[in-house]
Amino acid sequence: MSTVKSKKLQVGTDATSSNNFTIYQPSTPDGTLRIGVGNADSPTEVGRFTSAGYKPATAPAFEAKSNSNTSVPHATWTKVEYNNELRDTTGDYSSSRFTPTVAGYYIITATACIGALSDQTFLLSLYKNSSYTHSYVAGGFKSGVLDPATSMSLVVYMNGTTDYYEAYVYQTSGVTKTTINYGITFSGSLIQQA
Amino acid sequence: MALYDKILAVRPTLTQDDFLPDTGTIVLQNDSDGKGDYIKEWNHPTETQPTSEELA
Repeated sequence: MSTVKSKKLQVGTDATSSNNFTIYQPSTPDGTLRIGVGNADSPTEVGRFTSAGYKPATAPAFEAKSNSNTSVPHATWTKVEYNNELRDTTGDYSSSRFTPTVAGYYIITATACIGALSDQTFLLSLYKNSSYTHSYVAGGFKSGVLDPATSMSLVVYMNGTTDYYEAYVYQTSGVTKTTINYGITFSGSLIQQA
Repeated sequence: MALYDKILAVRPTLTQDDFLPDTGTIVLQNDSDGKGDYIKEWNHPTETQPTSEELA
C-alpha cells in the first residue's frame, strides 16, 4: 500500500484549461478541500468541502422583511416593499427585487398582509421581470377577516443575468388600502444550479 | 384620483370585472418606484385605451 500526498490534483489534461478540474488544498490550509475549474496552477474555485459538507462558491440567497407600509390602490397590482435586508449572500437583492447572478432553479417565497379588508379580493403574486405570471394566491374572502394575510412559494428558473422576481399584491376594496408590515417577508434561495 | 377611477370616468362602460386577474382585459400596475399607477396591459375588445390627455 502506498500513500500519495499532494496539495493539488489536476483532473484532465485538455489543452483548454476550462475543460480540466483541480482538487486542491488552499495555500494556507483551513480545513477545506476545494474544487476548481482550470489547471492546477490557477484553478477557479467552484465549491469546497468542509467538515459540514459541500458548499458551492456562489449560492445566491436572500431574506428581507418589510419595515414600511405600501399603499395599494383599488384593482391595481402593486409592488410590495421589503426593504429591510436580513441576509443577502451575494448582493443580488436590491430595491425589493432579487436578480441572482447564478443561473438555475430557485425557490422564491413571499408573504403579505393588508389592513382593514373584509369580503373583498386580496391577491399576492410573484412577478417575473415586472410582469404578471398568471399565478397568484388569494386571501381575504372570508367574512370578518380584517387584516388578511397570505403567502406564496414558487420554484422558478432564472437565467443568472437579467431575470428577476418581485412580489405584488392586488385588492378590490374600492379604495386605496395599505399593507401591514408585521413580520412579512420575501426570501429566495438557489436550489439547483443550471 | 386613482388611475382606476380616472379610467372609469372616461370609459363609463367599463366595470371592475374588466380589471380582474385572468378574466379581465386591463392590467393596472404600480411598481412602488414613485412613478405612480400606469396601464400595464390594455386588451379590451371594444373600448380604446385612454390617452394621457384624457387621464390628465
